[in-house]
Amino acid sequence: MSEPLHETRLVVNGVPRTVAVPARRLLSDCLRHDLGLTGTHVGCEHGVCGACTVLVDGRPMRSCLLFAVGVDGAEITTVEGCRSPGGGLGPVQQAFQDCHGLQCGFCTPGFVTTITAWLRDHPDPSEEQARQAIGGNLCRCTGYQNIVASVLRAAELLRNQEEAAR
Amino acid sequence: MRIAGTATLHAPVEAVYAALQDPRVLVRTIPGCERLEQLGEDAYAMTVTAGVASVRGTYAGDVRLTDHQAPNAFRLRANGSGTPGTVAADVTVNLSPGDNGTTVITYDADAVVGGMIGGVGQRLLTTVAKRTAGEFFGAVEEVLTSGGVAAAEGEAGALLPGGADEVGAADRAGAGGAGPRVYSAPAHPRAAFPGGDFAAGVAFGAAAALLGALVGGYLARRASRSS
Amino acid sequence: MTTRTVGEPIARREDPRLVTGEGRYLDDLGGGALAAAFVRSPHAAARVVDVDVSGALEVEGLVAVYTYEDLEGPMAEPLPLLIPHPSLHAGRTAYPLANGVVRHVGEPVAMVVARDRYLAEDACERIAVTYEPLRPVVGLDAAVAAERTVHDDVPDNVAAHMVQEHGDARGAVAAAPHRLKLDFTVERSASMPLEGRGVYARWDAADRSLRVYSSTQTSTSVRFALAARLGVPVDRVEVVAPDVGGGFGVKIMHPWPEEVLVAWAAIRLGQEVKWTEDRREHFVASAHERGQRHHVSVGFDDEGRLLGLAVEFVHDNGAYTPYGIIVPIITATQLLGPYKPGAYRAEFRSLYTNTVIVTPYRGAGRPQAAFVMERTLDAIAAYLGRGRAEVRETNFIQPHEMPYDHHLTFQDGRPLIYDSGDYPATLDKVKKLVGWDEFGAFRAEAHRDGRRVGIGLACYVEGTGVGPYEGAHVRVETNGTVVVATGLTTQGQGHETAFAQVAAETLGVPVERVTVVTGDTRRFKYAVGTFASRAAVMSGNAVALAAGKVRAKALRIAAEALEADPDDLEVAGGTVRVKGAPDREIALETVAVLANPLRYAFDEQTKLATQFAVGRGVDAPPVADDDEPGLEATDWYSPVRSTFANGAHAVVVETDPETAEVRILRYCVVHDCGRLINPRIVEGQVHGGVAQGVGGALYERMVYDENGQLLNASFMDFLMPYASEVPKVETGHLETLSPLNPLGIKGAGEAGTIPAAAALAAAISDAEGLFVDTMPISPSELWALRERHARKEDR
Repeated sequence: MSEPLHETRLVVNGVPRTVAVPARRLLSDCLRHDLGLTGTHVGCEHGVCGACTVLVDGRPMRSCLLFAVGVDGAEITTVEGCRSPGGGLGPVQQAFQDCHGLQCGFCTPGFVTTITAWLRDHPDPSEEQARQAIGGNLCRCTGYQNIVASVLRAAELLRNQEEAAR
Repeated sequence: MRIAGTATLHAPVEAVYAALQDPRVLVRTIPGCERLEQLGEDAYAMTVTAGVASVRGTYAGDVRLTDHQAPNAFRLRANGSGTPGTVAADVTVNLSPGDNGTTVITYDADAVVGGMIGGVGQRLLTTVAKRTAGEFFGAVEEVLTSGGVAAAEGEAGALLPGGADEVGAADRAGAGGAGPRVYSAPAHPRAAFPGGDFAAGVAFGAAAALLGALVGGYLARRASRSS
Repeated sequence: MTTRTVGEPIARREDPRLVTGEGRYLDDLGGGALAAAFVRSPHAAARVVDVDVSGALEVEGLVAVYTYEDLEGPMAEPLPLLIPHPSLHAGRTAYPLANGVVRHVGEPVAMVVARDRYLAEDACERIAVTYEPLRPVVGLDAAVAAERTVHDDVPDNVAAHMVQEHGDARGAVAAAPHRLKLDFTVERSASMPLEGRGVYARWDAADRSLRVYSSTQTSTSVRFALAARLGVPVDRVEVVAPDVGGGFGVKIMHPWPEEVLVAWAAIRLGQEVKWTEDRREHFVASAHERGQRHHVSVGFDDEGRLLGLAVEFVHDNGAYTPYGIIVPIITATQLLGPYKPGAYRAEFRSLYTNTVIVTPYRGAGRPQAAFVMERTLDAIAAYLGRGRAEVRETNFIQPHEMPYDHHLTFQDGRPLIYDSGDYPATLDKVKKLVGWDEFGAFRAEAHRDGRRVGIGLACYVEGTGVGPYEGAHVRVETNGTVVVATGLTTQGQGHETAFAQVAAETLGVPVERVTVVTGDTRRFKYAVGTFASRAAVMSGNAVALAAGKVRAKALRIAAEALEADPDDLEVAGGTVRVKGAPDREIALETVAVLANPLRYAFDEQTKLATQFAVGRGVDAPPVADDDEPGLEATDWYSPVRSTFANGAHAVVVETDPETAEVRILRYCVVHDCGRLINPRIVEGQVHGGVAQGVGGALYERMVYDENGQLLNASFMDFLMPYASEVPKVETGHLETLSPLNPLGIKGAGEAGTIPAAAALAAAISDAEGLFVDTMPISPSELWALRERHARKEDR
């Protein structure tokens, strides 16, 4: 009784990857175990906590609610892909460190991807907006205050980056 | 561990008793049994391939039939070892007449299992053991009700052109007393029958005489259906 | 000149790997291991009649199925009862796999091992267990009534009965000018870390050694437990806590059935085995906390001074008591808070129900205690028409009365003696922070706009830094890095940073050179664990002591090399210098080389060392009798008693007149946890604690039906606060150093949680003009309370 495998092509953090997976293989498990990218974490497996959030064609989605075969051909960005091009911390990641936006770090990858996508559309948020931006991800450690600060700090770092580039 | 059970065969007691002592029957009906080589009176060296779930491999060991009280009882002791682990079994077999010319077999086995296969958990072991015991007896019944060993040998010959000659040659050679007798299971494709492999279950040396998975019998039935 | 880092809010050393997804949590390890999964009881109470595994054989990739019959020796015995107590007269623990009986939904019945988790779960689904369901005991009422029992040999369902008292409380209540009787209910909640439990075990057959990774708060104790259960010598077992995604108490419970079984299976199969639980398993098979019902009798005078306080409560401990009765003991003793109760009596019964076990969750009995005490004081204030702050001030233990002996026994088995704290100052500070005295004006203005607002406050004391001890090992390597190891564990508290700060400042090296390892028995074997807000106190001090020893040794060796007096030397930036003679110096790494008399030089450093001609001459051995090679030391901190932190929360809420929804307008915290190693980390702990406090006050509860089914076993129905529910926390600090340890530290981990429900209930009560006596309180419950109050049906 062995399951048929389906060849699935994904572009993960800019790198084309091909895996052969059963139809029921969750994208979260595929990323973590078939592709070795363990940065995406699984907190509930029912789509509520958001720790598994990755960007699918740029949009944040719960990878625990997706089948890998269902996103065949998509471009996936995980927390590992949120580093800066030079390999150092990306602006959102740097902001989290600057603002003590994490404690145990388990929920953090889901916040990093979510915020990365959100800041593209909201480059200059208010504190209220920043709090709403993270309103769909659970954190049990921080009480969210420093995560809100991290969103604002990340926006600031991105603006500085842009200015430096000009 | 203890494994006990019963089976009802549609054949008279004497025929069943004889079949269970006959290496030509055993080699075909013990699950995963590949060969029996006679070591002495009622003693054989045996090679069996079987497994439980993912734990599979080949065992080499010996089988001894003792304490004969024909046609109602005998004892079987077996030892086997191989990559999946080790087995030692001591089995008491009783036969009594049932209704309408049937035979009721009761078996009581005391088995010690070691190595990897001993690690898979008692319930898996006993479940597989009982299931395949039932299939083994089904295979024996098949042999008995379809004309006996000779017919089985004939069928085996029908499977593969070379088969019959090999088997027959071995018997004829044995009859001439020119060396130990070797009984081989009819050659059969080792395709991955999902049921076959799991039916192969746990073979514990001579406990496999009772506890084997059904390969030969299954194939015999398949062959008889297709021919 | 020294490198000051203690007290500095430096960025965390562990963050770079965690924010980039390079953390190593349990499920990130063991890629090639077999996967374990469990068949768990769907019934709250049942006999297990048969386990038919034949269906599982269809699953390709199945390796093994185990039930109780496969267990032998110590594995077949009930799991340990970790904290025995004379009052726990009927303690009971579970078997690793059910032995014919199951006593709660989720209890493990069979373990499956297969090639991967998907297949293991397939096999689990195909295993048919025949149960004979029994009618379960659910809820405290049913437990007390004892028409049915959870354990056949515990006829009244009472596991423990304990009384602690000082003075004649009942007599004092009866004789007091005023009296009140109050009832309080606190519902079950749970730690609910984002990462569940997990175990990954590796048996090395050649070495006959076992290595187990577990998402635990106490790797050292898991090691002892596994060695005992598995019959493996202790020195052949190592347990490592990897990065852990939150604990909050639930991961201090050990050994879990899964911990022993996964390790046992790895040995039996000779292959690596890993198990990580899914969220539903965490709900029904880990641990909960909190369910209690209190009855208070309090006697007081015209000023609201407590003359006698008698508390009786029942505590729901679930189906088994592996962690003993620590939680109700803490409730009974910490109920006193910062007050003098006059005569005090606390009596509790801990009862069995057919539900998940109860073990500590952040606060560990203190939130219930603070709720009861603080609501009682508010009731007294209302009764007398006095201010709520004044009634508290009247009852405070005053600073000059420290140390204050309550004449009770605390959870560490030692006398309950508060060592230090300035409770009036704490209250004063939080009042100013929230604008307590000016609130009347705000309320009036809001009232004019048709809004309902209220203010509440709650004070607490927290016993922290409980023993018996912690230790630390500090070593200066020959390349100048400093390696620190301590045995307790980390679940986000920033120990890699905080302990590095302590070591760096004590030794005089830049903090970047210090690495810290926690929770790995290969690196440090004697420890207790991380819980009870004890890590900074215990390991912080142990690190300081060990680093101090290393510093002293370094100075002694450097003094010989520099031909100076150790008292004339200082260490800064990793270099030892003669004070006032900057050219006479020696790098700490060179001192490290000198500390280990070598026959062979293996690099430039060691060659360089020879120019100082350090040695004791030819008449004495290179390593003296009382000395050891290496620039390293181990030291221990073992306190005579716990040290007591304190704080106060003040909250402003608004309640909706129609929907009864509660909105938190302001949340103020003042806390005193002695010296802060890293203020940013402490503040983060307070924020997180407040979030869990808000959750416990308004949202979190475990809902069991009469059949013992947990109805809300998922994040969809067990409500934890998102960012929209947690207010911004305004914090103020006081620093009363602890006299009990060299660094003056007190614990802070649970500070945010303890008084939150009390403060919020007080504010809601104030806004509504009624009395909230349950925790949590939902909008619909508040609405119903309003109705009852309007009909004068409540008190």
